[in-house]
Amino acid sequence: MMNPVSRISLFVLVALVPSVFVLLPTIAFVANSFFAVENGQIVPTFTLSNYAAFLQQPEYWGVFVNTLGLCLQVSIICLVFGLPVAWFIWRLPERNRYPMLFVVILPLFMSYVVKLFAFRSILGLNGFLNQLLVASHLIDKPQMAFLFSRDAIVLTQASMFFPYMVLPIFLNLERIPHSLTQASSDLGASAGMTFREVVLPLTMPGVVAGLVFVFIMSLGDYITPQMVGGMMGHTFGRVVWSQFGVTFNWPLGASFGVVLVLVCAALVGAVGMTSRQQRI
Amino acid sequence: MIKRRTFLKTTLGTGLALSAPWVARAQTRELRIQTWEGYTEPEWLKPFEEANDVVCRVNFTTSDDDLFTKALASKGGDFDVFALNTALIPRYVANSLYLPIDPSRLTNFEKLAPAFHDNALTVVDGEVRSLPFAWGSNPLIYDQDYFTEAPDSWGVLWDPALDKQVMMVDDSSSVISVAALYLGYEDPFNLNADQYAEVKRILIEQKQILLTYYAGFADGVSLFAQNGVKAMYSMGEPQVKELQAQGVNAALTIPKEKATGWLDGWMLSPSCRDVDLAYAWFDACLSQATGKIMTEKLGYGNTTDLDANAAAGLDYADKLVWFQLAPDTEYRTQLWNEIKAA
Repeated sequence: MMNPVSRISLFVLVALVPSVFVLLPTIAFVANSFFAVENGQIVPTFTLSNYAAFLQQPEYWGVFVNTLGLCLQVSIICLVFGLPVAWFIWRLPERNRYPMLFVVILPLFMSYVVKLFAFRSILGLNGFLNQLLVASHLIDKPQMAFLFSRDAIVLTQASMFFPYMVLPIFLNLERIPHSLTQASSDLGASAGMTFREVVLPLTMPGVVAGLVFVFIMSLGDYITPQMVGGMMGHTFGRVVWSQFGVTFNWPLGASFGVVLVLVCAALVGAVGMTSRQQRI
Repeated sequence: MIKRRTFLKTTLGTGLALSAPWVARAQTRELRIQTWEGYTEPEWLKPFEEANDVVCRVNFTTSDDDLFTKALASKGGDFDVFALNTALIPRYVANSLYLPIDPSRLTNFEKLAPAFHDNALTVVDGEVRSLPFAWGSNPLIYDQDYFTEAPDSWGVLWDPALDKQVMMVDDSSSVISVAALYLGYEDPFNLNADQYAEVKRILIEQKQILLTYYAGFADGVSLFAQNGVKAMYSMGEPQVKELQAQGVNAALTIPKEKATGWLDGWMLSPSCRDVDLAYAWFDACLSQATGKIMTEKLGYGNTTDLDANAAAGLDYADKLVWFQLAPDTEYRTQLWNEIKAA
């Protein structure tokens, strides 16, 4: 048995790292959102004007709402493709299941920036997609239309965050005993019916987790829209970013950051509550 | 087997031997330099150290924000001399984070070329606040395969004939300043409400034909090369070289409306521990030999050797409007967000 003193000191030691490197910076950042900038210097006062600016100016909240819509679209696309893929992998014989899962999560081993540049060179004017379409005579000259649009953002983000949808759903499927699906077919249900009535309801926690993962990652990603979105690439992350650097309006940027964190927290909370109510 | 005593002796001995240079150094003079990478190249740092029997402790600046917060926190106590974009001098002056420089203590002050000797950003009311050291510009980069001769106006970035073949950078101060220059406003860093309205109007109009706002130095180069871009606002001269390396027949020009430029200078910290040494360092940096090497090695414009500048094609310092800190940067950022959200 450890004596109380060494136990407490061990706890302090273990707690020190997260508090110094996570908790303190977070507190500093929340505190900053109530500060003001005067004569190019951050003044520690208490003001709500940063939050008021967010609510009053449509170039802030309007972009925020647009960004939420974009993230929702990305999450739904990931779900539409991720659920069948997870289900397909789960149905594979055990020998092939994990190698296949590995293939799906393989892109996670690659750097984010590399993937972005890859997408840009696939979709660009001199890119792979244009070369392929021209070579197969589907179009007669390369088109600029694939890159720098809202669709390009959705496509790129959906591809990049796809594994985060497949993984939780797959892990959830793994917990469904095969005896349940066997019982379902024994009782005369078709494969489709078994999926609808048995598998899908039991998979909901994974689906919800996947949706939350993808949504939050898409919301926090301000580089992809800028890199592939062109004139449509102005998302809320970019608005936050613009308050730093030469602008030096950290308090305003921090208040926008707090808004983002609150929305994410509310989302996770709401999902947690519904899943508890529905016992999923 | 090594005996414990032998081990201890050896460890102690090795430790002492390894630390000897530091022990010795502690007795020589020391200069703490805070700078952007590239301004303390061994070609001029080493001779300076040897000539003055000094050890330089160089710290590289990662961003203007970082440097400012660091300087504020320690009142400049972390360094003796520092390199800073001259646009940001007012921020340091307002917070007393500098010391005026006495040009009579410098042998090389008179070597500064006229455009830099009496620069309005560095010499205010007869007080020398910074010593111009390196500069560059934001030229118009164009594809020579498309343009038979250099475009003479920023207007090409608004030309509907170049639909989806022109780019700007994603940065409020750059974009607003160049739009103001194009509109013919004398001082792009001090605009009134009507001028801002006009700037906003033409920047929103420009969105119709822009391919994209590029995110950074390398991003601009790769987008230009991969997407048949014909002209762009450039973040700096080295983009031309990188485009040429990627097979683009690129060139730069300063349009008739002028272009913006950045000018970095050396400043003296209020907490400087060895002022004589700091002046010696300034003299070393303002020597023509240093300027020549910097231009040849790094491609930045220097402020003392105009022949070296001309040889590198950097002969347009007088056609540049040096970047200044606009008095209303927050408004500019808001305007930029409005333009992008429009």
